[in-house]
Amino acid sequence: MSSALLQSSRLRAPALKPLPAAARKYAVPSDQSGDPKQQTIRRVLYPSNVRSRSSPVGTWRPDVGRALQRAIPSKQAHETIERAWLLHKRHLRQKRDAETERKFNSMKKAMDTLHELDTRLYMEANKKDDPRARSQEEVQMMKTMKVSEIRAVEARIRGLFPRELRIPTDTPSREGWKYEWKSFRRPV
Amino acid sequence: MLATEATEQLPNIPPQATRPKKTVKAQISTAILLNRSPTITRTPGQFERAYFAYEQRLRRALHNPFPYDFYFKQGTLLETRFNLEERKREKLAFGPGFLEKENISEEKRAADIAAVETLAQQEGEGEELMPRSHSADEAADVKSLDRAGTRNLYLLLQTLEDGKDVWRFPQGEVENSQFLHQAALSDLYAECGDQMDAWIVGKAPIGVYQPSQDAKSVTSQNTPERYIFFYKAHIMAGQIHPAKESVKDFAWLTKEEIEPRVDRHYWEGVKDILSDH
Repeated sequence: MSSALLQSSRLRAPALKPLPAAARKYAVPSDQSGDPKQQTIRRVLYPSNVRSRSSPVGTWRPDVGRALQRAIPSKQAHETIERAWLLHKRHLRQKRDAETERKFNSMKKAMDTLHELDTRLYMEANKKDDPRARSQEEVQMMKTMKVSEIRAVEARIRGLFPRELRIPTDTPSREGWKYEWKSFRRPV
Repeated sequence: MLATEATEQLPNIPPQATRPKKTVKAQISTAILLNRSPTITRTPGQFERAYFAYEQRLRRALHNPFPYDFYFKQGTLLETRFNLEERKREKLAFGPGFLEKENISEEKRAADIAAVETLAQQEGEGEELMPRSHSADEAADVKSLDRAGTRNLYLLLQTLEDGKDVWRFPQGEVENSQFLHQAALSDLYAECGDQMDAWIVGKAPIGVYQPSQDAKSVTSQNTPERYIFFYKAHIMAGQIHPAKESVKDFAWLTKEEIEPRVDRHYWEGVKDILSDH
């Protein structure tokens, strides 16, 4: 800026100073006024004593040093424990992979044998089914079935696991295994 | 590049011409591995339990402080309950001497505990979970489908074959009009009844077994070779009611329980398709 402009602005008016915070009516940090719930949320989301940014939101607990000393025996011990766990996981993984490989080889051998023995059966075993397709047999059967039975047949989609195959839970169900089951022959 | 590879292979004699022709067509049967999948999760081992406890107290030492004043209003019974439970958890993780003593009187502490217990009763929190081991485990009832909840159970039948009692998986013949997976299901229903919800996995066999021929029949050229193709099926409900004429007995067994019951040669052919767990 040229000196002439500076001089003219100095003569015109005193420099604008920012008002002290207490004098402002806007953007005032206040502890008394305002919804206490909002204050809690703000304090939780933006804690004031963020010492280190390693924690994704906020901070450590106040006695983190003491707690850590009680939690782990030493740095070397912690590393040993971690390595032991990874080794354990590796053993499990290797066992699982070996079992899967055995099963796969068995399946491959079966399909190779079938291919040599009977071409028609092999081609059918190899075919990928369209999940939406209905076989002739199914169509014939569905003409003479009750609505509930039709729904039961349509619920099982080719190529997908049935819904009744339950995921294991931590504790068994109250009734246990369902021994009574009404027989229903599906068209395969 | 592919074209040159193809032209290089042309002079080779195709393998089909060199294979000796079989005079008799092979006899194909299907067998079914009816599997009851695990119903409960695996029990963690000693090392796993120790590691999980270690990780839990490490996380507790390092996690963000819980914003309890956001979730629990000050002075309420729920806050008292949370404080009690939290002190228990801290004591469990870091030991008894970690937390400072609370500056409340003994009477107040007793009153708090009593109030929390009343709340638990009112909310009906005393619902008992079922135990992980069933009565069938203690009784070692091999016909029960509630036994060994963490393991895979396979169906084994005891039948009379050539005058001998053998334990084997359900099997049967294949008709000319059927495909293998259809034959597998109908053979299963024929030997085990249809009072069960069985589902065959896919259309491909999971294994093949050739029964060992006797020395007498091997010498004659006219005996067809027998191939038994195994199919995996899951049972989801119901129980098997075996055909009384052909099947003497049945059992739901884990992999290591099958091994002693079954013939050596059969076991060698079948062990790779069973699950270890």
